[in-house]
Amino acid sequence: MTGWLRSVHPQTLRVTALALVLALVVLFFGSQIDNYYTARMFNRISTSVAIILLIAIGQALVVITRNIDLSVGSIVGFTAYLVGDLLVAQPDLHPLVVVAAAMALGAALGAVNGVVVAYGRVPAIIVTLGTLAIYRTILVEYSDARSITTANLPKWVVELPQATLFSIGDLDIRVTVAIALGVALVVHLALTRLRAARRLYAVGSNPDAAAIAGINAERVVFTAFLLSGALAGLAGFVFLARFGNITVVAGLGFELKSVAAVVVGGVNIFGGSGTVVGVVLGTTLVDVIDNSLTRWALVSEFWRDALLGMLILIAVAADTLMNRYLDRLRRKRHMAELSAGTLPVPREAG
Amino acid sequence: MKFAGSSCLAATALLMGSSLMGPTALAEPVTATKGESVDMVLLPKFLGILPFDQAHRGAQEAHEELENKGELLYVGPTPENSVAGQIEIMTTAATQGQDVVMLSNNSGDQIVPSAQAAQEAGTRVVTWDSPIPSAEGETVFVAQVDFNDIGVVMADMAHNIMGGEGEFAILSATPDAANQNAWIAAMQRALEGEKYANMTLVDTVYGDDQSELSYNRALALVDKHANLKLIMAPTSVGIVAAAKAMQDEGLCDQIKISGLGVPAEMVSYTMNGCAPEFALWSFVDLGYLTYYTSYLIATGAIAGEVGDEFEAGRMGTFSIEKDPTRDAGNRVLMGPFTVYNADNVEAAAQ
Repeated sequence: MTGWLRSVHPQTLRVTALALVLALVVLFFGSQIDNYYTARMFNRISTSVAIILLIAIGQALVVITRNIDLSVGSIVGFTAYLVGDLLVAQPDLHPLVVVAAAMALGAALGAVNGVVVAYGRVPAIIVTLGTLAIYRTILVEYSDARSITTANLPKWVVELPQATLFSIGDLDIRVTVAIALGVALVVHLALTRLRAARRLYAVGSNPDAAAIAGINAERVVFTAFLLSGALAGLAGFVFLARFGNITVVAGLGFELKSVAAVVVGGVNIFGGSGTVVGVVLGTTLVDVIDNSLTRWALVSEFWRDALLGMLILIAVAADTLMNRYLDRLRRKRHMAELSAGTLPVPREAG
Repeated sequence: MKFAGSSCLAATALLMGSSLMGPTALAEPVTATKGESVDMVLLPKFLGILPFDQAHRGAQEAHEELENKGELLYVGPTPENSVAGQIEIMTTAATQGQDVVMLSNNSGDQIVPSAQAAQEAGTRVVTWDSPIPSAEGETVFVAQVDFNDIGVVMADMAHNIMGGEGEFAILSATPDAANQNAWIAAMQRALEGEKYANMTLVDTVYGDDQSELSYNRALALVDKHANLKLIMAPTSVGIVAAAKAMQDEGLCDQIKISGLGVPAEMVSYTMNGCAPEFALWSFVDLGYLTYYTSYLIATGAIAGEVGDEFEAGRMGTFSIEKDPTRDAGNRVLMGPFTVYNADNVEAAAQ
């Protein structure tokens, strides 16, 4: 009965289950909402996922090292506002310079988190809860009650969200979506192929063992926060292009959305495991649910957040239960094979 | 009450012999005595958006004009903490012994206990922009325009733009915002008139005065209601976000945006036809008038009761009356508001 389950890698199984849940959710809303399967809905969700995905990938890198970055929402708002300000003052800057500036600014803010967490040895949840408030307050003070408006931004920024790389029928693959997927691909390759990137898993699954193995855990954790900041900075730039009108509240609440996406995507909140494919699916699932609930007539405005929270809990609970079940199966097989004398080489990855 | 009010006025007038001469002066509006010392706190819904900053500028202008020896503080919560933050600042102001708090209330009646405590401690509470719904704990409300008139103006703008027929929806600020809720209620009353018989209000959603949330809510409205012709957004954050969303999705021919907005932020959308008509009053004047009213009440020049008449510098004579748009409470009515369209928006945006 369960023979095939045992032969599949748990991460593969998790990703398959997630894809299945995503398909079920889409089918469910499709049966509830008129005109659900439209190109417009696809474009809507894909462009919205593009922003959160960048943040969630950075968040995943941090969570894999057994930490958390709660300051990402403020970093997104901070970079969106400051880069907007920069563009208002210097409208002729080359787009690549602008993107680099956004990532550098985000990286600098992430580096502050990294230094305090890795070298100051303060728990990440405390440090980033602090910087979440500090970055936002600096922004409120700096902004002096002004907001960035579309009217003052260069044309290429305002038109970026509509720029389409290519279309399949009516479905657009927009440039911002391509950027996010490109980043996902690069990080995926790095995490699966690069020795340096594997250190994130080593530090996350067992910091002491990693230290004994000669891994500089401080530097690894610092780098994770640096990258999380840089990706949040890039997301801040995409955010600026998409929404155009930036007030000091920009990016509010993204920290929780990114944590939800990462956890639903199967990244272990206690570190040591997780895949980019899972994060992509988790982000999509969370965003599909969020976008669909706003259109579902049965749910009032005020219940949507609660329902979203509930669905996240269900997703995580289902994942945990499945893992326990698999663990038990594997242990059983292990015992069986031990007694049969055919112990396989363990292939625990991630 | 009325008698007590006027006798108090007479007593004050006698004390202020320098500016008012003889008993015949009683009929004259009260003028402020310059150079007294009144500590004042201007408390907006939250920091970081243009209208409140403009109100602050108006208050500063009055502060210098009246040569107030006391201090004018501009403090407000951050947007995500608006309700709790306002209550906290109100309590702190009373503890510090401030003479007046000028409040744009974003906390519904939740602010009442702290406002009442402030009054008992000798700190007067003058509301502006958004009143305390029950009027408890409030000395007087400085109303930008008559709330019922705003309802009629919004209904008329919708009528103009939609040609008198079709479906439209409302994109508001937060569900707790007393002013927006009152305007929406007033608009619904206005819509009962025969003139608007062919117009249907199909939905009301809340963007929480956040750009991205408002942007997404506006798009969700479009997806949900296939025949939507107009989105009415009685909030400066919501109206620009909705206009940008329609422009981004190329929907401006189909769905128009209207409501209350700041000309400088709206000019491009009005000129390209996405938001052909919107309205607003001067927030600078509102801050100026609120300051004068509060200064006069705090110095005891007026009692803050129905029938009080006073001079408010460059803006002329105002009086305190019963607020006909609430069950209880008194108000000073400012007015008027301006309807902006392609003819006058560019000049106002300068």
